[in-house]
Parts: sequence; structure tokens; C-alpha cells
Amino acid sequence: MRTLRVLLAGFAGFGDQDHQTQMYAPAFERHDGFTVVAATGSVAAAKELGVRHVDDLASALDECDVVSVCTRPDDRLATLKEVLAAGKHALVDKPMALSAADAEAIATAAADAGVACLPAHHLRFHPAVRSAAAAVAAGRIGLPWNVQADFLAAGGTPCPDGELVNFAVYPLDVVTAITGLAVRDVFVTSGRGDVTVLSLGYERGLNATVTIGRGPRLAGGSGIGLHRYRISGSHGTLTVDTAKPGFTLRTQDEWQTGWVGQSTVDSLVGELHQAITTGRRALGPADGVAVASVLEAAVRSSRNGRVERVAS
Amino acid sequence: MESGSTSDADGADQRVGVLVVGAGGIAEQHLAALHKRGDGELVGIVDAVAERAQTAARAHGGVRWSTTLSDALSWPGVDGVIICTPNHTHSDLALEIAAAGKHVLVEKPLATNATDARKVVDAYEEAGVTLTAAHTHRFYDYGRAVKRAIDAGAIGRPSLVRLSILGGWIWPDWRGWMLDPARSGGHALHNGVHLLDLVTWWIGQRPVSVFARGQRPTSPELDIFDHLEMVVRYDDGAVAVCEMSRGHRPAAFGQRDVVVQGNGGLLTLPWDAEASVVVDERGPGLLATAGTDGFAAQLDAWFSAVRGEKPAVSGLDGLLAVAMGEAAERSISLGAPVSLEEVTR
Repeated sequence: MRTLRVLLAGFAGFGDQDHQTQMYAPAFERHDGFTVVAATGSVAAAKELGVRHVDDLASALDECDVVSVCTRPDDRLATLKEVLAAGKHALVDKPMALSAADAEAIATAAADAGVACLPAHHLRFHPAVRSAAAAVAAGRIGLPWNVQADFLAAGGTPCPDGELVNFAVYPLDVVTAITGLAVRDVFVTSGRGDVTVLSLGYERGLNATVTIGRGPRLAGGSGIGLHRYRISGSHGTLTVDTAKPGFTLRTQDEWQTGWVGQSTVDSLVGELHQAITTGRRALGPADGVAVASVLEAAVRSSRNGRVERVAS
Repeated sequence: MESGSTSDADGADQRVGVLVVGAGGIAEQHLAALHKRGDGELVGIVDAVAERAQTAARAHGGVRWSTTLSDALSWPGVDGVIICTPNHTHSDLALEIAAAGKHVLVEKPLATNATDARKVVDAYEEAGVTLTAAHTHRFYDYGRAVKRAIDAGAIGRPSLVRLSILGGWIWPDWRGWMLDPARSGGHALHNGVHLLDLVTWWIGQRPVSVFARGQRPTSPELDIFDHLEMVVRYDDGAVAVCEMSRGHRPAAFGQRDVVVQGNGGLLTLPWDAEASVVVDERGPGLLATAGTDGFAAQLDAWFSAVRGEKPAVSGLDGLLAVAMGEAAERSISLGAPVSLEEVTR
């Protein structure tokens, strides 16, 4: 297996998020096809990971093949322009960009450079989502006409920018991955405690309603409290619960669930390796553009209380 | 029986004389519940079609029958009436019954628009007799269990409710009155009010607006939407997503799903939570389980109201559900959210 050199660029996200330390760096370490060679952005984080720190992104680019970009969301466009212009492949923390225009600029830069640029939409690689997407694509339930989805986090630190821009990325990407359809319009019902309901209209008359939000910490720890999809089709109905494959562990003191399948972040990193080494790109910047466009319209809808068209 | 009376002079409970108007399938559910009681008596059956009224009367003990409500209201022993006719007739029938000073249990919806529902509520207020809307799901085991958990504070203050009641086609052919929006009020009023009433009861707050969308998966020629998504926003910021379907495939598909998130916990009641799963030649499904008869529990509550207790589902509750259903239908037409104030002003 070809070994690709990874530069960890930044340890930032919304609020105190650090997905680089928590998610991507460990996944690169677990994958035989990557070796982390350096990090920029935080001396302390690099030290904690046992990675050499480099002050300057430009000089560090010379010694890597791929960059894992976790700079602040408002700095991702500038970072990626530099990375992509240098001909380096990129993995980008979500959201890939804060606006559709920025996302388009990233997509153009990646296309011009001819490199792989994967937004970190890792939940589309969840085993239950993958099998659902394959079943729908194979016509198992006929033509989909409706999707209902829930993405409710349990505990954790609230996103200072709101959970709409933080969480909606995942279910929006998953619904498109399952159905292959793009969002045409969106209406947002904002609730209490950062609960948001997205009423989405897709191509081909598909409707979807997606709930997102952050609830209280639940027994068993912080994480995802509920993450599932129901896809209704002309010839059947498919329910997807991402708690599967999993097991339940009950003891005298607690109630926990355990994961049976592969980590979705590991799958994402595997896709990145495959994209770079084979050119087969199941995920790309166009997916980041699609999500950014919907979120932009969703934010408008939440402010003006109207159904908003999604820029195509 | 006078309004609020509870017993005979010797203290024994009085029997409630009941007239059933409409002899269709839903009437059979109410009649079955009535026959279980020792303190209720079926006085007679009214149906616009003489043969149907006569057949039903014969099947239920040879009671009196008529094609005219006004005739039946004059029969001796009628204390209350259960209205089981097509939706567009509910309000006029209810007004006639109020004028006769009889208690009423109206199959949902109370009316097909909020204006008519308001007239009904006012008429019963003036007549001083009991008006109850038959929102039966409040009396089903699942509806009560969720309500108990919320009221006990198990999940704290509710912020999000998802209620989905999904099924395949159960209606007749194109002649079915429920497919005619002028008669049913549209699906948001015909079946949607069940969900709108239930989630509002659970949340316990005042609905502010509804954003709804409809689809016609069974046929594009339908004049109603057999699949509904209705997003309700409440005055305390809680949100409810109500999904009602008669358009799912396969036709035997039947799922109910409940999620309630509060600031103290998460309640889920998945489709297979209440029964054993069977996988047979027809595919996977659930075994029917013995539970509380919702219609019987509803009748019990109505009898209590007739005897002077506070109705479990009031006329105002029925009015609110109609207003929400009307807001949902308007929202679908407009492609925009509709405030309850717009509907009820």
C-alpha cells in the first residue's frame, strides 16, 4: 500500500471543537496508508499527539502529500486555496465552507489542481447508511418520495454558532447520499434549546423533514442520542437506525450501547486514500458545495420565516 | 338527565341513554364500547340511509331507528348523542343536538373549519350540556403512557416531539367521502387532527403556527394529500413534527413512532416497542396485543363528563385541533407557515 504523508493543519473548529485531535489524527494513525509528518497551528496539540510542529504552512506543504484541514471555519477557504494551489490533496473538517460562494471557490481550486478534496462528511460511510444507499439505488423500495430524519446529540458543548450550521451538515449529506437527489428549497422552524426542524424540498418531488438539536447528556455518556432515517418509496419503506450495528450493555450501575461496526471516520480516511491513489472519488467538494448552499438558504429561512430556494 | 346530575335520589348511578348518529365503521367501535357498559343504554340509531339505519338497529338489539335526527332526539331516554357521520355534517348535527339540550360526543374533527367549530363550542356553552371531541388517541395506552412520563417530569420540559402514524391505503374507491376535501376537510382535518391534538396535549403549550406539506403517493389524481408533514411551533418554543400517512407501501405497512426530547431526557417509542415481531410469509410484522380499549376508555370519560365531571377532551380542545388542521391545510396551499391567529380570528 502506498504511504501518503499527512500534514495536520490546524486544531480549530466551532467554539472549542478540535476534531483534528479527536477524530482525524487517530484515524490517520490507524490507517496503514498514511503517516503523519507534521502539524501546524498549535504547538501544544502537536506535542500532545507527538507530532513535529511547523510554524509555517507554506514550508510544511513541501514535505506532505495530503493536508488535514481543521483551521477555523472562517479561515478554511484561505488555507485550502494555499493547499490546493500547491497540488496537495485535502481532507476538510465540516463544514467545508461557511458560504456557498466559498465552497464553490474551493471546488474550483480543487478541480484546477486536479487533486482530491474531501469534506469530512463521514456519516455517509456509516455501515447502515451505506447499505441503505445501496438498497435505494438498487430499487429495493422503488422511487423514494419522502425521508424523515433525526439527528439529536446527547450532551456535549453547545456550538456557539448554533447547531443548525454545526449538525445539519451530516443529515443533509446523508439524505443526498441515500437518494442521489439535490435540495431545491428549505423552510426552517427554530425551536427552543437549539432544536431546529428543516423542511426540505428535493428534486423529483421528494420531501424530507430533518430534526437536529442538542439535548441533555444521557446515561452512557455524551454523543449521539438519536440518529436515524426513514425513507418512503413507491414500493416499500426503509428504516435506518445508526445505532446499529451495536450491542446493549446493562450492568447494575449503568446502561450503555457499544459499537460493532467500523468507525465512520476510519472509513472516511480510507476513502481519502482510495481517492488519492486510484482517482475513484465517491465524495468531493461538490458535496460540500451542496451542503453549504442548503445551509445558506436555511439560515435565511430561519431569519425571515419563509421558504427559501437553494441556489443551484 | 340534567346537566351535571350524577345519581338518582337513592344514590345509584343513572344509566346514560345514547343515540348513535351514523351507522358506518366508526359507529361500530363506539357501539362495541357502549355494549360493554352496564350503565349505558343504546336508545336508537340514525342514518340518512334507511336500510343502513334499519340493519344497524337490528344488529344492535332491535333498537329504534330513523333517518332523521330531529325525530330521534324526541325519543324518550336520550341523554346524549354520539356523532359518527361524515365530517362536513358534524357541526350542523352538533348544533341541532345542543338545541335539544343533549350531551354530545363528536367523532373528530369537531367541524371542518374553525369558524364552525367555534359555533359548536359556543352553542354547548350556552346550552349548558357536555361537548366532547372524540380524539381517541388520548385514550390509547401509548398516548397515556407518554403523557404520564412527560407529566412526571421524566424528560424535563419538552422541546421537540416527533409523532408519526403511518399506514397504507385503507379507504374505499373514488366514491369515498374522505377523499372529497369538501366533505372531509382534507386529510389534515380527517386524520391529522389526531396527531395535532395528541402532541399538543403532551406538550401542554399553546400552538402558534403550522408549516405543512402534503404528498399524494397513492395517486396524483387524489384531491387530498394521503401523506402529511405538519410542523407545529408552540408559544414556549417547543416544536412538534407530525407525520400522518395513508400512502405508505406495502399497503399493510403500519408503524407508529414517538420521540420526545426534553431538557432532562429523551423518550422514544419505536414501532416495535409494544408487540412481538413475527416474520411469516407476508414478511415481518407485529402480533396484535391486548391493551386498553381506547374507545371504551373514551366512552368512560364521556359518561363521567355527562355526569358532571370535567371533560377529558373539551370542546375547546376540539376547536384547537380543528384550527391546527385548518392551518395545516392552508399552509399546504400557500407553501408558507400559517399562524393559529390567522385561522381563529
